[in-house]
Amino acid sequence: MSDTPDNASASASASAPARVAITRSLTFRQAATTLIVALVLGLLASAVELYADWQSMRAEIRTQTDSALNLVSGSAAEAAFQFNDELATQVADGLFARREVRLVELRDNFGRLLVRRAAEAPPASDGLAMRLFGDITDYLIDLEHRGAPPGNELVGSIEVKLAADAIAASFMERARMLVVIGLIKAVAIAALVVLIFYFMITRPLLALHGAISRIDPAHPGNWPRPQLRGHRDDELGHIVGSLDRLMGAFQRGLEQRDRARDENTRLGAELDVSRRIQQILLPSREELDAIEGLDIATYMEPASEVGGDYYDILRHSGGVRIGIGDVTGHGLESGVVMLMTQSAVRTTLTSREEDIVRVMEVLNSTIYNNVQRMGCGKNLTLALLDYHALHDDPGGARGRLRISGQHESVIIVRASGSIEIIDTDNLGFPIGLVEEVGEFVNQIVLDLHADDLVVLYTDGITEAADENHKLYSLERLTARVAEHRHESAEAVKDAIILDVKAHIATQTLYDDLTLVILKQR
Amino acid sequence: MNALAGDGYQAEFDSAAGCVRLCGSLRLGGLTEYAPISQLLEDALDGRSALTVDLSTLEFLNSSGIATLSKFVISARNRKDCALTIRGSSTIPWQGKSLNNLKRLMPSLELVFD
Repeated sequence: MSDTPDNASASASASAPARVAITRSLTFRQAATTLIVALVLGLLASAVELYADWQSMRAEIRTQTDSALNLVSGSAAEAAFQFNDELATQVADGLFARREVRLVELRDNFGRLLVRRAAEAPPASDGLAMRLFGDITDYLIDLEHRGAPPGNELVGSIEVKLAADAIAASFMERARMLVVIGLIKAVAIAALVVLIFYFMITRPLLALHGAISRIDPAHPGNWPRPQLRGHRDDELGHIVGSLDRLMGAFQRGLEQRDRARDENTRLGAELDVSRRIQQILLPSREELDAIEGLDIATYMEPASEVGGDYYDILRHSGGVRIGIGDVTGHGLESGVVMLMTQSAVRTTLTSREEDIVRVMEVLNSTIYNNVQRMGCGKNLTLALLDYHALHDDPGGARGRLRISGQHESVIIVRASGSIEIIDTDNLGFPIGLVEEVGEFVNQIVLDLHADDLVVLYTDGITEAADENHKLYSLERLTARVAEHRHESAEAVKDAIILDVKAHIATQTLYDDLTLVILKQR
Repeated sequence: MNALAGDGYQAEFDSAAGCVRLCGSLRLGGLTEYAPISQLLEDALDGRSALTVDLSTLEFLNSSGIATLSKFVISARNRKDCALTIRGSSTIPWQGKSLNNLKRLMPSLELVFD
């Protein structure tokens, strides 16, 4: 068995598993996707947390400032009422001690400034800080002195301004921390997911991928089935099992194909040999032309599956011996039996055995014993016709024909057009079928006059079927011969073969076609 | 009841009815493959004064089968103690000539065509 170029290149490409670019690999793409998703989700979570933080920070600043102002409002009112600068300064300093306070002003109820504390160089207001906290920086409360009823008396006001930048700075620090933690979390989650995926799915998939790319198309059954530990009962294990069964089925299919191909090659070779065997020992045109008294035409065409048709025309000192037969079955064994028959017939002629019963007995014994050796049970119909020319026959006959042996009926078409069908069933017995046939052999003798025709054939002619399985038939054969009886043997043969071929048309030839036409000169 | 079956054929010997029946298409490859059928036929002959071989549903018999059947008929003829009847069908092409040849092997053989 030799690899075709296709197979060779296929196995070469199979031995080197297909490489996947790193950026296209499953692990890389899965890691990248997981990382991006984790980052986006992490950042979203951070943003939500930050928003909540912002809200609570604003509330806290307001609450703290309000409570600080409330806390000092009593002392501040006292200071404003008494114009106590020292107390006012203490109150203002207390408030100003908070880092985010930018300005503290305490006024009396005439608008006169009692004390003012301001950050030396208030930093340029940053837009973001203003947007985040700009609306909660200014606080102004009125100061009331609790005196005797009927009511409290307004004595002044205290104003506090906070620095948005200072508030924002601590907020931004928190924000930075949240984002960094979010990123670290995202990366950690992504790495964890990739690792879990890699060991659970990606790694066995890669093993499977490697095994599949190493499959040799010429021997899929020998694929390196991967052992996926811990995956025997899950989907991956099932994939491997299914692939294994598939590869096994492929392998069996390939082996079946190879066997069929080998068998075909063998049969093809056998058929060629059989065809050669059938043609190799046929009489030549020169031999036929040299025969006295007979105009002879012959035709033999092997079927697509060669059968075992036999015919021979042997000239000898006493005349001519014509043999025609059909070995059962097709193929080499039938051809071999046919070859043995040809040889045995010639041997009986060479040994000058005149007695036709003895001739048939010897032939039968030879073929029977060989067929027993072959163990194939082949046998053949065989008719032998002995012809000799007549000179000075009182009845005007020009030749005499003795027919013996069992074969298809012999057709005699007289020059006058009258037809004789000679049934040969009782003239012999199948050759090679049983040990003794002598008792079944008989012979018929008939005289031939000028232009009488003798037609010998095998059942390939009479049983040639058309597309409706209609057989060519003995009747049609006889009628055609009668129509063409005035023509030469060659012309009669041609006309019949043409007619048989027209009957078969496009159908396959299932049996050998053999036809022998003898015409008395 | 002794029976054999294979690809496309059955062979059975009904001892009570004294009948061997072959059905289907027999295409065994060679004489040795017919040995079991040959044995079944020979066994059917043993100690029997009359036997029918029914081939009326045997659509096809290859040459090894015909050789086997011929041997069987010769064996029956040589025993001289069993009246043999072969039942065939006139609609099955291979039987006409072949069964007549069997009759010539054993003239006392009774040939019945359905």
